[in-house]
Amino acid sequence: MDLQALWLTLRLAATTTLLLLALGIPLAYWLASTQARWRPLIEALTTLPILLPPTVLGFYLLVLLGPHTGFGRFATRLFGHPLAFSFSGLVVGSVIYSLPFAAQPLAAGFRAVDAALIEQARLLGASRWRTLRSVLLPLSMHSVVAAAALCFTHTVGEFGVVLMIGGDIPGATHTLSIAIYDQVQDFSYAAANRTALLLVSISAIALVLLYSRRSREGSARG
Amino acid sequence: MSDRIARTLALSLLLVALPAFAQKTLRIAAAADLQPLLPPLLAQFEHETGIHPDASYQSSATLATQIIDGAPFDLFLAADLSFPQRVIDAGRAEEAKPMPYARGTLVLWTRNDSGAPLTLDALRTDAIKTIAIANPEHAPYGRAAQAALQHLDLLNTVHAKLVIAENIAQTAQYADSGNAQVGFISLTSALTPRLKGDGHFVRVPADAYPPILQGAIVVRSSAGAAAAHRFLEFLQRPETQQTLAAEGLEPVH
Repeated sequence: MDLQALWLTLRLAATTTLLLLALGIPLAYWLASTQARWRPLIEALTTLPILLPPTVLGFYLLVLLGPHTGFGRFATRLFGHPLAFSFSGLVVGSVIYSLPFAAQPLAAGFRAVDAALIEQARLLGASRWRTLRSVLLPLSMHSVVAAAALCFTHTVGEFGVVLMIGGDIPGATHTLSIAIYDQVQDFSYAAANRTALLLVSISAIALVLLYSRRSREGSARG
Repeated sequence: MSDRIARTLALSLLLVALPAFAQKTLRIAAAADLQPLLPPLLAQFEHETGIHPDASYQSSATLATQIIDGAPFDLFLAADLSFPQRVIDAGRAEEAKPMPYARGTLVLWTRNDSGAPLTLDALRTDAIKTIAIANPEHAPYGRAAQAALQHLDLLNTVHAKLVIAENIAQTAQYADSGNAQVGFISLTSALTPRLKGDGHFVRVPADAYPPILQGAIVVRSSAGAAAAHRFLEFLQRPETQQTLAAEGLEPVH
């Protein structure tokens, strides 16, 4: 059993999920509350990663992270090493790849909160940040949980992007889905079945835990 | 009346459908390293024989799996002998042994602007930090690259610098996008206009790795078996072998 790949996959999925919540909550808050005319454009851009086939997205990321783009050179200076073929590179790729799975449920959840409540909070002098923290987030916790579950499982099952920018390095970029692919390519079907079972099990357990939390909250409220 | 309509309909359906049966086609499962050079040869074959060849390009491992699982191909042109052998072992081939049709060449490639010194000895030095190779577990050129590194007593020294690509085409992407400083790729890739324009290469000494013999098999009881045999004959003609050699695939003998 490839425990190193399992640990790496969990670390990647957890890091990506935390980063996506940190980025996605303010972004979704803005999407849900802004009157800006270019809001649809930004919302479309955040959905775009679903549109591209993952390997194609991965290919563009490979080019973007490389030394021939300004972004690639900037990132190399920022991280102290080129991003391709590294864990940090995978995190950057996964955040872009799973962004729609954070932004969409969060924005939908925020939009479902009664606008009158937000208005009252603002009238009582709460800042935008305070309104988000004390009104919006508690009332849309189920969306936050849904977004986290989607980001986590989507990253666990991520394949095309990792294949393109990973370089298959044990402990850094050799994730479970790559392990399964390698095993299938080597005709080691029994090993591939075991790894796939592991991948499905941890994802299923994570989902059950998250969703049981959600129903507890639902019943507490109801 | 309705009888006549039904008969007319059936007849016209038959007339529409017939050409699909009459048209001769040859379905080829071709290894990814053939993609740059096979299309002109397919066109020439069609011109000579009237048989229309359709090629699907994938890694040899994927194609072998597909054929074993019943994919409707007539001919398998692999990038080594082990994958056609797997198809034979599964009872899905006409032949008892894969027929070698070409020999691949391994080269070390770098971009013109990478500044990387292009010798095998330089791989040892700090000037080279990332080396792309195809997955030695299942990509024939990756296997050859690993064997060459081992033979040249470099494998332990460069092990931490290796980045593994899924197949030989992706290895070229790693190096061509500049993410890997150098890459062990196929001569067929290095001779494509794109990579010829972007970089340069040195050949890995042929005695450093076992020959990359590319083998073919005809899929058992396939509809286009006769056409597949004709294509294999076409492939072995001296003129065809010369064309292949010019594109990076040497004759077997």
